[in-house]
Amino acid sequence: MQLKPSAAPSRAGTGRAKAILRDDRRAAFWFLLPSFLGLAVFLLLPLAASLALSFTNWQLIGQSKFVGWRNYVNLLTIDPSFWQILRNTFHFTIEYLVLNIVISLTMAVWISNLRWGKRFFRLIFFLPTFTPLIGSAIVWLLIFTPGGFADWFFSALHLPIPNLLTSPDLAIQAIVIVSLWSGFGYNLLLFGAALEAIPSTYLDAAAIDGASSWQRFWKIKLPLISPTLFFGTVMTAITSLQVFDQVYALTRGGPGSATATLGFSIYRTGFAAYKMGYASAIAWVLFVIIMALTILQLRVQRRWVHYDL
Amino acid sequence: MDILKNAARLAAAAGCALVLSTAARAEPVTLTWFMWSGSDAEVAAWKHVAGLVTEKYPDIKIEFQTASWPDYWTKLPALAASGQLPDIISLQSMRTPGFANLFEPLDAYAKKDSFDLAAFDTSIIQGLTDDGGLRALPYDFGPMVMFYNQDMFQKYKVEEPKVGWTNDDFLKAAKALTVDGNYGTAQSVPDVFFAYARSAGANYLKDGALDLTNEPLKAAFQSYVDVVAKDKVAPLFPASGTPSGAQANGRFVAGSVGMYVDGPWSLINVKDSVKFKVGIAPLPAGAAGSISLSAGSGFGISSSGKHKDEAWKAIQVLTGPEAEEYLASNGRAFAARNAQQKFWYESAAKGVANAQPTIEAALKTAEPYKTTAEWNTVSQLFEQYAPLAFAGSQSAGTTLDQIQQLSTQ
Repeated sequence: MQLKPSAAPSRAGTGRAKAILRDDRRAAFWFLLPSFLGLAVFLLLPLAASLALSFTNWQLIGQSKFVGWRNYVNLLTIDPSFWQILRNTFHFTIEYLVLNIVISLTMAVWISNLRWGKRFFRLIFFLPTFTPLIGSAIVWLLIFTPGGFADWFFSALHLPIPNLLTSPDLAIQAIVIVSLWSGFGYNLLLFGAALEAIPSTYLDAAAIDGASSWQRFWKIKLPLISPTLFFGTVMTAITSLQVFDQVYALTRGGPGSATATLGFSIYRTGFAAYKMGYASAIAWVLFVIIMALTILQLRVQRRWVHYDL
Repeated sequence: MDILKNAARLAAAAGCALVLSTAARAEPVTLTWFMWSGSDAEVAAWKHVAGLVTEKYPDIKIEFQTASWPDYWTKLPALAASGQLPDIISLQSMRTPGFANLFEPLDAYAKKDSFDLAAFDTSIIQGLTDDGGLRALPYDFGPMVMFYNQDMFQKYKVEEPKVGWTNDDFLKAAKALTVDGNYGTAQSVPDVFFAYARSAGANYLKDGALDLTNEPLKAAFQSYVDVVAKDKVAPLFPASGTPSGAQANGRFVAGSVGMYVDGPWSLINVKDSVKFKVGIAPLPAGAAGSISLSAGSGFGISSSGKHKDEAWKAIQVLTGPEAEEYLASNGRAFAARNAQQKFWYESAAKGVANAQPTIEAALKTAEPYKTTAEWNTVSQLFEQYAPLAFAGSQSAGTTLDQIQQLSTQ
């Protein structure tokens, strides 16, 4: 009953508001259209096309026909190399992700505590990130090649480490080393910026209360940079699941299938064997894996990421 | 008004003249030509040959497009799939089974113009032919031969390879040269291995299909990898972005490997980039003799092209006597035309020990390098899996089983 008197003006108000909203929507539509068209033509359409392709046996040359789920069934049941490739991909992702986050976080904390040279060190460690990996991988190839610098180095230290590139058990470590070298600088910069943003009053207050530097790190710094840490972890996980350049330039998936990853396998199936339909099926399996892991990470983050500063 | 009338008359006259002149001449055509190349010198040579076409047919201009060797085989099917295939495309004999249907069969064209195919070496004509007919006119070919560092042989007083030498001679020389940080030889896969297997009496095809799992082939592969794994007289090449053949070539050119197998098409580049004297010899004889595999390349007409007749005219010039003489004299090609091969001996093979007797002996017993449609996959799988056998991590037989299974799945 109390609402009644105000009902009339408010109805007029909502009418005007609706009109404004309609105008806004129209304007927004026209402003968004160009980028939406770009998204549709260059992202959604190819995505749909690759999904459609994954149900065909298209081989680039010649006719293709619809084969239903056969590519997926072959991949998951018959293909002798798929499970090995999946294992390699997860092995690489887990090892690389953990090492990358640990190393970049440790270095970021170390650099943020320096009195001088912060910018210098950040620049130095960031350099590999904007060096084209495909080029630097060739230098790494010369380092790792049998009888090369790495072999000389290990033997000079009397370490019983065989040649990385020709050992099926250790070849993936070469990929991890090169990836770390080229990739940790990005996270280092990210975490460094987050650490700088922590208000010094929190740390000063904790210090006055008698918290050790170890406690200040675990109880204050880490929770406060947890959103950035989460972002870095998710992005690193996605890029490491897609790993390709290093494998392509350094080992071509070898020796045997020791370093063949999903990203490399898509390339080899599509552009060396010309089986585009099958390659699309592998790409969609990779898409589903990345999607699932990212959703999992988003779920789990509630337990350890703090957005309130 | 008079001025206007005169102008109109002039325009009409000019129009007539234009119509007449175009009627007298054929419509000018620009043909696109896609060919692999590895250096600026090669590109310059191809552009020169393209110029010969315009010289003979002023209405045909050629636009040269290029890519590196491995990229060429990725781009070609991609261009075909997107309907952008150039008018003239290049084909290597080993890829004939896989790519033949992109190429217009040339038999009808050759018959119509009574074009003389007998002027070319027969093995390369065979190599560029599939069930549908001849797919390209060849410009070069050649058998694989053993390249050797003559200075290294002389320094360590090892007898040089010669026509009639055997596998035992080869191993003895390789062992004698493996001193002072150098290796006697370099083993690449798969092409050189298949020639080795043929010389050992084994075969890698059965009824035209890939057959890597037969026992004689496995035995041949084991003895091929043992040169690296057991005898250790050849470097171990990792699977990498650089194919094993290119790694072998790199080591040889650097002077740290005494011998390696390659085709005559590589001789000019090798000779120009080494600081020592180079010799060539036929492949060492195995149980079945010295059997090399010969391969070569040529130019064909895109089956989806709009200017097929002009392209046919153009490829006749690109592989004609004048072009072949130019390419052979520059060492770019061991000519597919028999009459022009002498120019290659006078240029690329100049100063190379035993060049002419070696090529002639090798050609006598060489077979065309036969392949299957999935050859690109077979090649890549060999590069990827053979290092396991070379390193001794697994047997040669198991490696061949894996490659067979993965390439025919």
